[in-house]
Amino acid sequence: MTDVAEGSATGVDQSQRAAGARGHVPGESSMWFFVIGDFLIFGVYFVGYMYFRGQNHELFLSSQARLNLDIGAINTVVLLTSSLFVALGTAAARAGNTADALRRFWTALAFGAAFPLLKMFEWIPEISAGLTPGTNLFFMYYYVMTGIHLCHVLLGLVIMCFVIRNLKAPGTPKISFVETGATYWHMVDVLWLVLFALLYLMR
Amino acid sequence: MTSLIRNPLTIVWALLTTVTIASSWIALEGGASHRINTTVTTAVLLIAAVKAHLVIRHFMEVRHAPVWLKATTSGWVLALFALLLGFYFASL
Repeated sequence: MTDVAEGSATGVDQSQRAAGARGHVPGESSMWFFVIGDFLIFGVYFVGYMYFRGQNHELFLSSQARLNLDIGAINTVVLLTSSLFVALGTAAARAGNTADALRRFWTALAFGAAFPLLKMFEWIPEISAGLTPGTNLFFMYYYVMTGIHLCHVLLGLVIMCFVIRNLKAPGTPKISFVETGATYWHMVDVLWLVLFALLYLMR
Repeated sequence: MTSLIRNPLTIVWALLTTVTIASSWIALEGGASHRINTTVTTAVLLIAAVKAHLVIRHFMEVRHAPVWLKATTSGWVLALFALLLGFYFASL
């Protein structure tokens, strides 16, 4: 295990050297255009949220008090951990350690799958308590932004299954495909980090 | 196993997890009364910016990417959090 992990670290260094001074774009460039586009679209939502929050601080603060900060924080750690295993799996795949890569991607998938599950434990009591998108502007933003984000998570889980299938296929796995899937998954993570701060933490 | 723990990616993850717990604690302690609190807001937004930067740089491997990608992603993080803090303070 030690040797394998060290091998993967060396593999990253080698590919970095091979990429040369101009740098290496991880995965397909088209995915990066999607990622930057998504960052911009979510950016507009985030700034819009902050603008409308500024119009009615009291409403947003009192609504925020009804959220489940514990599940929000646990889900943040869950996504970060899933991202870590995706990053470790990508490094292993690049170094040619397909068995290690597969183990890490399965672990990442398990953590990733916990996110929507925990989200249900969060949403169901809230909806049962009568908190819906129609309740007020805060809950409208809350459900729409976390809902769109959840769709991204579900798509990411499907993509991760394809990455695992790619790693399991006979022959050398397609590294650019692994990197493309990884890039998408980390984007989902980044967007959640901002959502967590805006919806649950700020005052 | 030991080298997995010593892996730079794992160290980045440990840092990300620690600051996540720290920012939750800040919100729970400083923001328990659910009133406007500029210190809490500034702290949790800055922590979120650092976290986004770390994930982009280390997990998304942008630190080894060409300059255009580094500039675009860093530009997004900087512009987004500048706007968020700007709108927040302008509304007080």
